[in-house]
Amino acid sequence: MGAVTDDEVIRKRLLIDGDGAGDDRRINVLLKSFTKWCNSPGTPEEGFTQYQRMLGILAQCESSMGKTLMVYDMNLREMENYEKIYTNIEQNITSAHDKIAECKKEIQRAKRIRKNRQEYDALAKVIQQHPDRHETLKQLEALDKELMQLSHIKENVDAKLELRKKQFHVLLSTIQELQQTLENDEKSDNDDSQESPFLSVLFCKFSFGSTVFSKQHFKPSILHYVVL
Amino acid sequence: MTSQLTAVLCRSSFDHQMAPKYNIQNHLQLFLFYIELVCIVCVLQLLHMSVFSQSFSPCGRYLAAGNNYGEIALFSLSAALSPDATVQSQKPVLTFTAHEGPVFTLISSDCHLLSAGNGEISAWSWTELIKKVTVSLNTQQPGKQHDLIIPEINAMIINPRDNSLVVGGGDNNVHILDLEHGVFKSVLQGHSDYIHCVSVREREADILSGSEDGAVRIWDSRMDQSVHCIEVYKYESCARPQYGKWISCVTTDSDWMLCGGGPSLSLWHLRSLSPTSIFPLTGCQRQAAFHQDMILAVGDGPFVSHCLLGGEVKAQIPCTPQSLNTLQLNTNSTEHRVLTAGGSSDHIEVFTNLSYRAFSLSF
Repeated sequence: MGAVTDDEVIRKRLLIDGDGAGDDRRINVLLKSFTKWCNSPGTPEEGFTQYQRMLGILAQCESSMGKTLMVYDMNLREMENYEKIYTNIEQNITSAHDKIAECKKEIQRAKRIRKNRQEYDALAKVIQQHPDRHETLKQLEALDKELMQLSHIKENVDAKLELRKKQFHVLLSTIQELQQTLENDEKSDNDDSQESPFLSVLFCKFSFGSTVFSKQHFKPSILHYVVL
Repeated sequence: MTSQLTAVLCRSSFDHQMAPKYNIQNHLQLFLFYIELVCIVCVLQLLHMSVFSQSFSPCGRYLAAGNNYGEIALFSLSAALSPDATVQSQKPVLTFTAHEGPVFTLISSDCHLLSAGNGEISAWSWTELIKKVTVSLNTQQPGKQHDLIIPEINAMIINPRDNSLVVGGGDNNVHILDLEHGVFKSVLQGHSDYIHCVSVREREADILSGSEDGAVRIWDSRMDQSVHCIEVYKYESCARPQYGKWISCVTTDSDWMLCGGGPSLSLWHLRSLSPTSIFPLTGCQRQAAFHQDMILAVGDGPFVSHCLLGGEVKAQIPCTPQSLNTLQLNTNSTEHRVLTAGGSSDHIEVFTNLSYRAFSLSF
């Protein structure tokens, strides 16, 4: 421990001595000249010049001391300045790190958004190939209307068909009844008297008409024929 | 080579009458010749090597690659990616023969590496492999009970929903193996030709399989039935009759599916089962993957294609092998996020930044 401090002391002294451009030497010279001046038997002018010289050396020493003090102050202030800059830079670094992390997150988000957009576009392309929904709905409505109209017509025609069927059925049944009554009359007539040719022709015509009607011919010409 | 051999043989026959001091020289020359032959065979082997499959370890620090000689090589990514990497760190830390035939597919579960080749599936423990112990834990043969001919296994994938392994192979069926018990649960039948690739849809419990018969079938894994069957070659926009109708790559993103092979690589919307974008890539694509907002595809041609979902090819990054078979992204580790691609060469390209090839690992 003692050796270390001795080394330190020696190092410091060497530094000071080597650095000061002979400040220590100047002090020693001053001391020596002061003792010589005190003990000198010379003339008062010599003593005075010696005295002035010594004052000059003293002033030099004081000025160099003042300089070193100022340099020391300056160093302290530089240190403070550097500390400030150092903390500033550290803060900047951390904020830059944060910004980088933020930006990375942004990039991920942007990539996801781009991916979604591309997916939408791809799907939109497929959808565009299919026809527009409104158009298709309109077409469907028109088709529905047509369908309804046609079904109306069909119903009407069906109703007419039914009516005609019923009418002809009525006609046929009345013809049959008339035929029957005529036959009966004929039979009763034949029992009494001879056959009338006119009645037999009428009878044939009726039977022919009824067979034609049983085959469901609806031509009005045949109707006229039968009536005849 | 032959001249040297004849010279040695002549000298040996001539020297029978001479003094026996030449025997040592002859032996030495024969030995050197043998060594040279072995070296040449090794070099030729390297020239003809193809990498068929790759898988990253669960910790993300190792890459396992399988080649056509049945060997699996383990590469240390941390060594290869470190700033003071040497040529030696781009060589495998461990190479061992896993199967007699080529290793067509490799997949990693949480702590095991599963490899499949000609009909058998072997499981290796990652911790043991890292310690350089190569003892197979378990070997399974699908369909052993029914078939006499053991088919080759082309694709495997793990279904995380029920911890099962989906296996597709040469017998036109998809087999499902329960990883907990090591038993084959079910067989999905429907394809009429061998299966090239399988994929799982995470959100729905669906399995997709692409096969040589040109159909991509979507199976419901709970009901074990085929839900949809998409015959890609029947769509005019995708079909390329000059290449055939086989589907060699299928990958899915739950809503979207990429499939390609004989027909062009195309992006399909699975809900409507319609193709939305066709990618104008020449050659047949052997593997494709979704990555962020891009699609990466490899196949015929010495490059990795980057495409956008809209259908345009953004970039084609060149690589050394003449054609690439497999593409893997390391998602298991954050500091070793690399893309690796292997193909018809003994080099595996490593991309640290997707825009350029960083270096190659070699067998």
